[in-house]
Amino acid sequence: MAAALLEFGYLFVVLAVVGAVALRLGLSVIPLYVVGGVVAGPYVAGRFGLPYVPNGEIVTILAELGIVLLLFFLGLEFSLDRLRSSGAKIGRAGVIDLAVNLPIGVAIGLVLGWSPVEALLLGGIVYISSSAIVTKTLIDLGWIADPESEPILGTLVFEDLAIAVYLAVVTSLVLGGDGGVAAIGRSLAIAFGFLGLLFVAVQYGTPLFARVLDVENQEAFVLRALAVVVPISGAALALGVSEAVAAFFVGMGFSTSGHRERLEHQLVSVRDVFAAVFFFWIGLGTDPTLLAAAAVPLAIAVVVSTPSKILSGYLGGRAYDLSAHRSLRVGVGMVPRGEFSLVIAALAAAGTTPVMREIIPAFAVGYVFVMSALGTVLMQRSDLVERLVFRGGAADGETSTESA
Amino acid sequence: MTVYESDLPGVGKKHEVELGDGSRLVIVTHNSGKREVFRRASADSDSEKLFELTDKLARQVGTLLEGAYFQPVQTESIETLLGGDTLIEWVEVGADSEIAGKTLGESDLRQATGASVIAIERGDEVVTSPGGDAMVEAGDTLVVIGPKAACRDFTALVKGT
Repeated sequence: MAAALLEFGYLFVVLAVVGAVALRLGLSVIPLYVVGGVVAGPYVAGRFGLPYVPNGEIVTILAELGIVLLLFFLGLEFSLDRLRSSGAKIGRAGVIDLAVNLPIGVAIGLVLGWSPVEALLLGGIVYISSSAIVTKTLIDLGWIADPESEPILGTLVFEDLAIAVYLAVVTSLVLGGDGGVAAIGRSLAIAFGFLGLLFVAVQYGTPLFARVLDVENQEAFVLRALAVVVPISGAALALGVSEAVAAFFVGMGFSTSGHRERLEHQLVSVRDVFAAVFFFWIGLGTDPTLLAAAAVPLAIAVVVSTPSKILSGYLGGRAYDLSAHRSLRVGVGMVPRGEFSLVIAALAAAGTTPVMREIIPAFAVGYVFVMSALGTVLMQRSDLVERLVFRGGAADGETSTESA
Repeated sequence: MTVYESDLPGVGKKHEVELGDGSRLVIVTHNSGKREVFRRASADSDSEKLFELTDKLARQVGTLLEGAYFQPVQTESIETLLGGDTLIEWVEVGADSEIAGKTLGESDLRQATGASVIAIERGDEVVTSPGGDAMVEAGDTLVVIGPKAACRDFTALVKGT
């Protein structure tokens, strides 16, 4: 008991220190939390005989809560009505994004000789951009006020929906194991049965959600929200269904209850704590020596999926009738990958094959580390990217921003 | 005035206001309540951040802009300085004013105060350069011109007590 508390103390000290470093250097916290976990975990600190945080059951459960809350918040912000109202444009940009990037990731996996499920996991990791990093960088750079922010944020909303469907399917494929087509069919049926019922429940359960949360007391409010989302996610996982998607749906249900803003306000620090533990936990499970084994897929994925995101984002920007210059920025803005790639990696780690358990998580950690940094740098230096792409010339009759 | 509103999922809302010279004022309202205000010089240029305000501060600045504390356009105290000491002033005729119901000639305000009436506003209607036979009624707004002191005397006389 005392030892476990001390380990947690150590965990929070590391998170606080790397958080301070990230803030100081203006970097995204997500990859640094992961690095903190790697360094303070059994594979680095442990190997050198230093005190380390073991990858125990308690950290795993708290990390799981981090996943649940991350997806719960995604659901809170997600609105089917919004998707429907700005429909066609988001749909077009989102479909282009999905149709370009997911197959490219899957193809890389297949070329490496991986199984279809393994390749599909790689596809998801490569496909999904980081809402957290992209949104933060948009605000930091002031792009939020420019037209390019609309296709970027719109595409992220589409990705949220796509990732919910993706996780529902892939969780069944991974956890359904290798029992053949019948077993996979059964686990998919359970997943869609459970999630379908949950979806219907949250669509019609708005008055109930509103009543549950109708309490003045702050503490009671937070506890009631957690008392709904955590058990439902737990029940999902017990059935072999994606707990993340269940949390996403519950979030969607809460978003129309009239308590959305209060939920975001009151729960944001709870989410941030558990999400940080989740990123740290990902690091704990990453053996840096495995990065060598993941180096080839990592190199291929970085080289291929950076331009592919820029291209799909560019086409998405064009679908929003933006100029070539602004559309290119949309592409650059979609490059950072982060939290959701790691959620998929956590799912892969629960798999059965060595590739799923070891290579994919190590790959994801390396990939997120590279893409979050590369994506942010590309956004900061988008003028150079524009000059490179448009060769210093004029695009659409307007000159690119060449101040030098 | 055209205001363009768009959703910024996960961030908040954005409003763009056309400023008339081709530039736009862009106000980003974060879910946290923070406001960021930008100016975009033209459709092709990048927005330049002007300032940011907390929710509370934004509301206070907003009421100032709205004119809750000081209304520059107030029927009783509009005045325009012409240079030197001469003013144009708008004066409302009170219900109990002694000039209500009389013509300008009858009350002979120019003689009494030194300020001249150059127009009478009555609802949407404006009588410009009114003659001595123009009728003044309670509720009218008289536009007068004259030295500052004359305007002050005029106002005191017309408003009634």
